[in-house]
Amino acid sequence: MTAEPLPVSTPKSSRTEALEERPVNLDGFVEEWPEVGMVAMDSPYDPAPSVRVADGVIVEMDGKPRAEFDFLDQFISDHAIDVSVTERAMSLEPVEVARMLVDPTVTRSEVVEVAGGLTPAALLEVVKTMNVVEMMQALQKMRARRTPANQAHSTSARDNPVQVAAEAAEASLRGFRELETTLGVVRYAPLVAIALQVGALAGTPGALTQCALEEATELELGMRGITAYAETISVYGTEPVFCDGDDTPWSKAFLASAYASRGIKMRFTSGTGSEVQMGNAEGRSMLYLEIRCILVAKGAGVQGLQNGSISCIGVPGAVPAGIRAVLAENLLASTADLECASGNDQSFSHSDMRRTARLLPQLLSGTDFVCSGYSSVPNYDNMFAGSNLDSTDYDDWNTIQRDLQVDGALRHVPEEELLAARSKAARALQAVFAQLGLPTISDKEVEAATYAHGSQDLPMRDVLEDLKAAQSVMDRGITGLDVIKALEASGYSDMAHTLLSVLRHRVSGDLLHTSAILTSELETLSAVNDANDYAGPGSGYRPAGERWREMKRLRHVVSASNPEEENG
Amino acid sequence: MTSMEARPERVLDAVERGEATVGSRPDEVVIGISPAFGDFFTKTIVGIPHSEVLRELLAGVEEQGVQARVIRYRSGSDLAVIAHSAARLSGSGIGVGVLSRGTTMIHQKDLVRLSNLELFPQAPLLDPETFRKVGRNAARYAKAESPEPVPARNDYMARPRWQAKAALLHIKETEFVTPDAPPVELDVRIRLADAG
Amino acid sequence: MPRRSSSTSGSGWPTPVDAVTLLVGVDIGNSTTEACLAELGPDGPRYLGGALAPTSGVKGTAENVPGVVKVVQEALSATGSAQHEVAAVLVNEATPVISGLAMETITETVITESTMIGHNPDTPAGAGLGTGTTVAFTELGSCGPGEHVICVVGAGVDFEDAAVGIAAARDRGVEVTGAVVQADDANLIVNRLPAPIPVVDEVTLIGKVPLGMPAAVEVAEPGRTVRTLSNSYGLATLFDLDPDQTRLVAPVARALVGNRSAVVVRTPSGDIADRRIPAGTLTLIGEHARLSVGVDAGADEIMATLRRVAPLADATGEAGTHVGGMLATVRDAMADTLSDTAEEQDVHIQDVLAVDTFVPQLVTGALAGEFALENAVALAAMVRTSRAPMEALADQLRSALDVDVHVGGVEADMAVLGALTTPGTERPLAVLDLGGGSTDAALATGHGEVRSVHLAGAGDLVTKLIDSELGLDNREVAEDIKKSPLAKAESFFHVRMEDGTARFFDEPLPAEAFARVVVLGEEGMRPVPTRYSLEQVRQVRRSAKHKVFVVNALRALERVAPGGNLREIGFVVVLGGSALDFEIPDMIAEAVAGAGIVCGTGNVRGCEGPRNAVATGLVDDHTGRAR
Repeated sequence: MTAEPLPVSTPKSSRTEALEERPVNLDGFVEEWPEVGMVAMDSPYDPAPSVRVADGVIVEMDGKPRAEFDFLDQFISDHAIDVSVTERAMSLEPVEVARMLVDPTVTRSEVVEVAGGLTPAALLEVVKTMNVVEMMQALQKMRARRTPANQAHSTSARDNPVQVAAEAAEASLRGFRELETTLGVVRYAPLVAIALQVGALAGTPGALTQCALEEATELELGMRGITAYAETISVYGTEPVFCDGDDTPWSKAFLASAYASRGIKMRFTSGTGSEVQMGNAEGRSMLYLEIRCILVAKGAGVQGLQNGSISCIGVPGAVPAGIRAVLAENLLASTADLECASGNDQSFSHSDMRRTARLLPQLLSGTDFVCSGYSSVPNYDNMFAGSNLDSTDYDDWNTIQRDLQVDGALRHVPEEELLAARSKAARALQAVFAQLGLPTISDKEVEAATYAHGSQDLPMRDVLEDLKAAQSVMDRGITGLDVIKALEASGYSDMAHTLLSVLRHRVSGDLLHTSAILTSELETLSAVNDANDYAGPGSGYRPAGERWREMKRLRHVVSASNPEEENG
Repeated sequence: MTSMEARPERVLDAVERGEATVGSRPDEVVIGISPAFGDFFTKTIVGIPHSEVLRELLAGVEEQGVQARVIRYRSGSDLAVIAHSAARLSGSGIGVGVLSRGTTMIHQKDLVRLSNLELFPQAPLLDPETFRKVGRNAARYAKAESPEPVPARNDYMARPRWQAKAALLHIKETEFVTPDAPPVELDVRIRLADAG
Repeated sequence: MPRRSSSTSGSGWPTPVDAVTLLVGVDIGNSTTEACLAELGPDGPRYLGGALAPTSGVKGTAENVPGVVKVVQEALSATGSAQHEVAAVLVNEATPVISGLAMETITETVITESTMIGHNPDTPAGAGLGTGTTVAFTELGSCGPGEHVICVVGAGVDFEDAAVGIAAARDRGVEVTGAVVQADDANLIVNRLPAPIPVVDEVTLIGKVPLGMPAAVEVAEPGRTVRTLSNSYGLATLFDLDPDQTRLVAPVARALVGNRSAVVVRTPSGDIADRRIPAGTLTLIGEHARLSVGVDAGADEIMATLRRVAPLADATGEAGTHVGGMLATVRDAMADTLSDTAEEQDVHIQDVLAVDTFVPQLVTGALAGEFALENAVALAAMVRTSRAPMEALADQLRSALDVDVHVGGVEADMAVLGALTTPGTERPLAVLDLGGGSTDAALATGHGEVRSVHLAGAGDLVTKLIDSELGLDNREVAEDIKKSPLAKAESFFHVRMEDGTARFFDEPLPAEAFARVVVLGEEGMRPVPTRYSLEQVRQVRRSAKHKVFVVNALRALERVAPGGNLREIGFVVVLGGSALDFEIPDMIAEAVAGAGIVCGTGNVRGCEGPRNAVATGLVDDHTGRAR
């Protein structure tokens, strides 16, 4: 069972030597060990599906009587499974449900209704009958929102707010509809969260922002309107792992309702591999446990889930069919009628081929957020420990979109536009900091941030002053409204109005709808007003018109009218 | 791992000497090893022999003029539990815990178990020099000095390479746990492989 | 405070004495803006409260408006008053102050030909003195019986192998009397030898130790220092030196004083030297004289030169030096601040303060990463303009607050008036305003005349001195050290305070504080990342405060005192942010006690402490004139 150490003997042939040097051999792979849960989705130790209802209550689920339920079973059976349809749904063969998923003539809502009655083991049996092409076919129908979108990580290895503002502007201009940041030094959070928010306003309007932090601070920044949504509320598939974080499904549901009470968008986070990683998988497959997480999210009433293994991607990535399981978890989140932010957000492989192969199922099918964290900064600046894609992959991404005519929600933007947005972001932040009495941002920093690739290109800031100011932001009770006033007072009226509109959406509650994003016109686009209507060839979302013209543009395209020139 | 290339192979002989007791010397550090360390497992996740790991930890302590005792923790594979137990058995209150895969922690008896003095979570980045420094710092804590924490290293590409293997090693180690078995004192001898 | 409903709408200024009217005095300082709210009744002002906020932008510019609006509103809302009740906002004549700091290292220690190793490894081993010829470990086998040898153990040699090799050579009769080791292995080797020899370890650049040369290794018992190698005659005895040669090695002996272990290698022209680094000149321009002084002459010489040219009209530094750059930057920053105003002003450096300090620096040519404390000079400078663009500020304030805004009152005069509200004071009274960038003083004589002075060097310079002298390279930590007392965390449940008392805790201390020197700040306990002891850190902190604040306090008081005589000042009231420091006011009080002065931290209006003096003075002055 113990893996051999790295090969130390000299390779036998030149061919072996050439292969040995391929980056893929720097990745780690392990054998399956189903007894302890080191298996993606096909384990003899997962329970067999079953359900029994008495007096409107589920009294048996997946071979276990109610008296033996752990707290996840109880939460799921009481809050996630539709008791009115469960017995009918469970009577269907798994392959019948799988066919409904794949068949374009069966509508999404029909599938959602049936799936709503399935137990975790039954959902697992359904996806076990499907190969990845079938899952992709199903996912393009089951995604909640018709129009795909994408999310960026905008972070800085030095927590430099000026850099984060410029990166947020570029990311929103490139098409990202959600921007996430986090910190190296946690105390920097208020300044960087403000920077992310201000920067996002300088690109394409309407990109929502979040700052991943310890739960209480994250909630407070949200309630103050400094951030617009939250995502890092983690749930797990076994009781011991849940308890390790002093949590229960109920405590997470309580936190979710705190966000909802202020009209703040939020989703949970989970993913295959976390339980076996912590040695507490209770002998279940990674996917079975992840399905329990999906149903906890559904039962808690949150609109969505970030999954696709996320920070444990090295675990499913190392076992056979692991990436198939990761696709299955995205599909099942969508089938549970949740918004799905589908991973592709953590360093996954040394091999560019493997990085791309891991990405394609979500990119080709389209999900609510293809990446739940495409690093808009070079990976050395990525404070989520690196992403599967970073800011040096933009041109590859845009080319793949164009080659296959699939919409990965990004676009090529001419350099002048990017620089203008980056500069505006940094200048606006300079003005906001001055208005709010926060440490000075120099013209030199603005210029450096405009032209920078990463934090190493920026001058050092006075960290002491910044941290003091960050504390004062919390102490003085600064809110999103103060940021709006500061923008208005310093002549950034357009940005002030955009932010005010974003905050207004909290009052209407529109961002609580499943899969809600804001368009550049600041209108909500969600599963309610942009419901996925895929019904086979010729239907559903297809890039066309202005969007397709936009996707055709790349950095270097030879002009047809004058082949001596390039349009970029 | 270049630092391992020139090293001769050494063997770890660990003889059990009965249940471990609380030490009375104020100048000792207790090193707690995990259930399968130097037993079913012989090297860390990146192939550093356990004999070298222990030799460097012990050398780091000895160079500071502090005594070391080695115990094997048998009833669990949680690093914090092992390191904390070692600290509670130590006359100075300072203990080091080390897992078979190499993950290491310095602990103190009055700390809550989930806390620690220094933690080295990324086992793939721990080389013999780091183990020496861990031993050195543990001894300096025992002398009530204020050592600079051993610099932590980080590598975001460690995840694709080592995450799954680390999980396997952890699970396998857990199989060697004997519930309720008390920690045992070890007589440790580390000798050259060809020296018999 | 009852909420009052009466309105004085349309009353304007001046207010009839029978109407109830509110006045707000606002002091725009370098870092904080303070407000004082008072009700003007028939019997003079009645103070209702105050507020404090960070100053927005550079003091004295229109950027201050948000900060002023904030304090005015806070003061009003704290007392339940409304904005329309305010008859006038009084703002001080806030003149922009820009200060700068620079440091020049003026000495360096240079070792040539690897003559000595004088670092202090934590754990050398085997007390004693060994002499012999330096021989590489790998060459031990070729040494013959009876040869006296100092073994040089290079990188990559395992401690067991080293011990076996040395023991084998000694068995063959080779007199291996000491060793120099690259790794941190001294005790590990000595513990494995049949008989101990002195071993010095952690010599990083061991490849540079000259081989085949006479050498000596000395290690003292723990808690003691070397006796022979730190003594010139000891070296003369060991190496058989004549008087001329002894003179040459004297610096080596001196450099080793205080070390627990040392190595000296006798090479034909080896030397150790203290060199002075040219650090450029500083030109001080007075009204009648213009004198240049080398920065490497040290702080005393610079300050003496300053006194010779006094009063200072301007100062420049040699281009390409830190001091020259800093003075130019300060001047440019002020010029930028004023560029918006119609009248172009010439910007002049108004004061400089030079302070002797030291910085830990790597010794050039050292083999073991030795540090030496090199001398350095820190320089603070400031510019201040006589007239600020206050009218623009007042206009913007008027429209932002929709009330009458009066600019008036020289800051120093107002500070004195405010300070006089401290119980137990009377004229002649001097105020000392200890800020971040400058130290200001003003004296009100018995007949109401006020003289003031503004000096470079204050809290920021103290932080910089602490940072560099402890080699922290972390201003945040230095700031922590400056502000709060120290302690050593001796267990998880108690700390030993810097005054020797123990303080116990019910909850365990944070893990990162264990066994460390900690600062007991407002936000709890923070460990200091340093290898210095608590006593050393405390010493650095107190001397930095003394070098800046006590020196400047005396400098300032002498300049405002009638005839420069401190005894003519009756009361000194200490104000400003640094007056809240836990020891600076006491240090100043102690320094001026000899002159029979009553000195203490101000307590403005008997309740505000050292804050709010100028704001209070503004109200006081205004109402006094109205009556």
